[in-house]
Amino acid sequence: MSTTTTNPTRPVGDSVKRIDALEKVTGEALFADDLQFGPGLLFGRIVRSPHPHALIKHIDTSRALAMPGVKAVVTGADTPKQIGLYLKDRHIFCRERTRYVGDPVAGVVATSEEIAEAACKLVEVEYEVLEPVLDPLRGMAPDAPLIHPDLGNYEVPNFIFPKAGTNISNHFKIRKGDPDAAWALCDAIVEDEFRVPHVQHVPIEPHVAVAKMDQRGEITLWTSSQSPFAQRNLIAEALGLSQSSVRVIAPFVGGGFGCKAGVTMEALAVVMAQKVPGYAVKLRLTREEEFFTTFVRQGLIARTKIGATADGKIQAMQTEYFWDAGAYTEYGVNITRASGYSSTGPYEIPNVRADSYCVYTNHPVGGAFRGFGMPEIHWGIEQIVDMLAEAIGMDKAEFRLKNCIRTGSIIATGSTMHPVGLVECIKQATAAIHWGTEERASAPHKRRGKGLAIMWKAPAMPPNAGSSASVRFNEDATVTVSVGGQEIGQGAFTVAAQMAAAALGVPYEWVRVEGPIDTQYNPYEWQTVASRLTWSMGNAVMAAAKDARRQVLDLAAEHWGEDVDHLDIKDGMVISYRSEEAMPLKKMVVYGLPKPAGQGWRGGPIIGHGSFMPSYVTGLDPETGQGPRSVVHYTTGCQAVDLEVDTITGQVTILRIAAAFDVGKAINPDQVRAQIEGGAVQGASTALFEGFQLKNGKLANHSFVDYRIATSVDVPFEIIPIIIEVPQDDGPWGARGIGEHSMVPTAPAIANAVADAIGVRVLELPITAEKLYLALEAQADGMPV
Amino acid sequence: MPAPTDVNIPAPSTLAMPSPGLPPFDYLCPDDPDEVVALLLQHGRSARLLMGGTDLFVQMRDGALAPRVVIDVKRLPGMRELSFDPADGLHVGAAVNMNALAAAPAVQQFYPLLAQAVASVASYQLRTRATMGGNLCNGSPAADTAPAALVLDAQCVVWGPDGERTIPANNFFLGVRKTALQPGEFLTRMEFPVPPTGYAGRYIKLGRNAGGDLAIVGVAVLGYPETSAASGYRFRFALASVAPTPIRVPEAEALLAEQPITSGLLSQAALAAEDAATPINDLRGSARYRKAMVRNLTRRALDDVWNQLQAEG
Repeated sequence: MSTTTTNPTRPVGDSVKRIDALEKVTGEALFADDLQFGPGLLFGRIVRSPHPHALIKHIDTSRALAMPGVKAVVTGADTPKQIGLYLKDRHIFCRERTRYVGDPVAGVVATSEEIAEAACKLVEVEYEVLEPVLDPLRGMAPDAPLIHPDLGNYEVPNFIFPKAGTNISNHFKIRKGDPDAAWALCDAIVEDEFRVPHVQHVPIEPHVAVAKMDQRGEITLWTSSQSPFAQRNLIAEALGLSQSSVRVIAPFVGGGFGCKAGVTMEALAVVMAQKVPGYAVKLRLTREEEFFTTFVRQGLIARTKIGATADGKIQAMQTEYFWDAGAYTEYGVNITRASGYSSTGPYEIPNVRADSYCVYTNHPVGGAFRGFGMPEIHWGIEQIVDMLAEAIGMDKAEFRLKNCIRTGSIIATGSTMHPVGLVECIKQATAAIHWGTEERASAPHKRRGKGLAIMWKAPAMPPNAGSSASVRFNEDATVTVSVGGQEIGQGAFTVAAQMAAAALGVPYEWVRVEGPIDTQYNPYEWQTVASRLTWSMGNAVMAAAKDARRQVLDLAAEHWGEDVDHLDIKDGMVISYRSEEAMPLKKMVVYGLPKPAGQGWRGGPIIGHGSFMPSYVTGLDPETGQGPRSVVHYTTGCQAVDLEVDTITGQVTILRIAAAFDVGKAINPDQVRAQIEGGAVQGASTALFEGFQLKNGKLANHSFVDYRIATSVDVPFEIIPIIIEVPQDDGPWGARGIGEHSMVPTAPAIANAVADAIGVRVLELPITAEKLYLALEAQADGMPV
Repeated sequence: MPAPTDVNIPAPSTLAMPSPGLPPFDYLCPDDPDEVVALLLQHGRSARLLMGGTDLFVQMRDGALAPRVVIDVKRLPGMRELSFDPADGLHVGAAVNMNALAAAPAVQQFYPLLAQAVASVASYQLRTRATMGGNLCNGSPAADTAPAALVLDAQCVVWGPDGERTIPANNFFLGVRKTALQPGEFLTRMEFPVPPTGYAGRYIKLGRNAGGDLAIVGVAVLGYPETSAASGYRFRFALASVAPTPIRVPEAEALLAEQPITSGLLSQAALAAEDAATPINDLRGSARYRKAMVRNLTRRALDDVWNQLQAEG
């Protein structure tokens, strides 16, 4: 007996409806600020440094404490230990020094947000203002003021290399081949500097945390979080508590994009709650605070030199990255590392030198942001490759096809590339916009252009980031899947349910995925970052479902007296291919099965467990960055853009973006397409509109009034999502991640299309209408642009 | 020529963070216009009027305003009424919301320029609250509805201690956040005369992005056949966001009335508009870009209006 379906891995590979669709579209889904804590709830507000760099000489909290309704005031005196995901470089509240505008100096707990806010103004802080570092190049200078004079004493993992006595919190190097000798062979060499400003994630839901300490000193934290387990771990360590004494409960997340990973303001709420045992304390950021007091995407100055021989083969590449990492480096040090080992982009280049520096500045704190360094470095990589193709005189798609990584290529770290479908991505994305065909602009004052960019990105994480899952049956054979990975809108719960259903042999509709994520009950997950859930958590869910399935089959085999190899589970029925026996899973998965003749029962409630941790990622040589397997895998892809530039205003209208990504296996093709579309939109937004305007460390555009993001009316263009599937050896059903990758190539693809349209190269994001217009004016006047 | 002035709400020089809530205030909702006048005279600068609240509450949250008394005037008689009479023109209560205004059949049919300008303000969601009266009284140089009011020769009808009086829109704006309203006065409605026969109009707003931005530059052009003019036509120009107030451009208007209209003359008019603009550098754009955009978009709007006039003529 066998069922014939068009999709043998069903429901994996089907575009099933999102598991959380109904509760989200009806508004029933609960987010952190929806949770109710009764009339005893207290509120926190934060006193923040108005100076980018200063010493705290004195804090007087007495006037604030005297204000009616104020319950407690917290300062750095309450937080002696340091915290940090990789490099432990900050105090939860500042102690002797403040390092950016917005650095938390004190926290006020009161009976209302208004009272807490008013009392913040009564906290008197005396500062000694210091010279700030406002640029990473200045920060690198030998005479620059030191932002972390104690850098040499900070706790740090063995793959991060801070330089004591400087502002450099990490220096990652690649030394491969001999670029200096290779330049002589090159027929064309291009060299330039590219700049990327800080940008913000702007999730629709700002950060919210509610913390409570009970009379035993145990902490509960309810928060909008991508990282409940990492937050539990880091907060417990910083406060000297056991991980089991900190419980994080994380309901649905209203947008993460990296800003709710690691620890930011959550720790502030916890420290405030420790001062008022038994009371829950809520801290929620205003939109303005969201802009510059939580993580931002780091600024970057990238200097790149690249050369090729006349046959179009890239021979050498040399890169320096100066990351404007801000005051602390929760993630920055690892972004620096990831960008260093990925600095060639998805190209096979024999001679490579790269130096990636993470530099402290008195700017907002750099963190994870969709793509984790890759959109920033591809801004330069994919433009300079275009410029080199021009210099060589080759078609830009053909040039990329000639040089891009293929299965078995040796990449920058000396590692060998796993099976990869990048060539197919380039061919299909360019074909979708009729690459090579000149098309007319829609009006005489408009110029049309086409451009493309390719990308790669690996999950950047510690080599041993783990996932776990459990799968348990209910009486009616419905299934409850328990994971520690978070649903942040990307569809992780839906994919987990599909995988569990496919591995067990039950319909998708029978599966539930537990939320909120509660570190007290849910199994461990490192963090919901790095586009790693479908792959890593997926492996754990698949293992847990297979474990449960094996238990069911063992029970049925014993019951029927058959060999387990002849049994299967299909559509919720256990079947035997040999005897053609069949029985429903219902009841047996909880109550077991009766032995013959009333001799008792066998089996019992079925629970499957699974975990996954990559064990095969090797370290890299600290001097050369070389190693046999630098990362778990790379996802690759290509975007091709067709646009028009209005020469009267400089405005860009994107007509079409075709985007092809090799996802290994699309577990849910519609969700993959949605990620590809969303990435193109966010990528276009950062390309055309977004960027911090920092003036002496202060953010001038700290609200939506002057920090513009693309809205639905800004993206009327057609997005053509294309799915390529070259299976990943260590991915569930061959899957790898796609969440971040889809925005990585967008900005340079748009820049390349603009250059094609009007001959103007924009080296610094964003590509504003004003920049293009003034460049066109200069061009018309015969000025260099 | 007035000195360049910052068209923005000035950014706070220290870390003055917007409050998570609004400062405390008393909310009053009188049903008699004279009571509003009395309250305004009694509380002076510590009273603010409320209609849609889309500017008021933002400024209160930012700490730019902290009125002790907020007087809701949108429920007063006539404040939310809109009417059209073929002889008298269009009357719009000051508190008519922008979506209602833009969608009114008379506005769509006889004042499409006004509908264009109103529909360019913020987002649809905001326009269900925001009012044109508030947009004008807020006194922002960037007000999108102001250029339309200027070229349509709107009259601002106000109620005050001496009863009703009328202020031409052209005299209404005195400076950044300064209008011709006197102590105790408030705007009750805008009156738009019947537009000239055979007229055509266009409002072009340039924002950094298409959805809901403030204007970097706003340009309104209105033209109509006029036998008394040497050229056979008269034009009116108004600009937003490029001077301390929304402005008319009389130089360009005179040029196009005095000589036969040619492509070169249209360019000269656009240059006259550029000359009239005195923009500043700010977060939204440089003065240099703004001036160029006044020229280019005036020309674009003018071409469009001129083509319409010729098609109809």
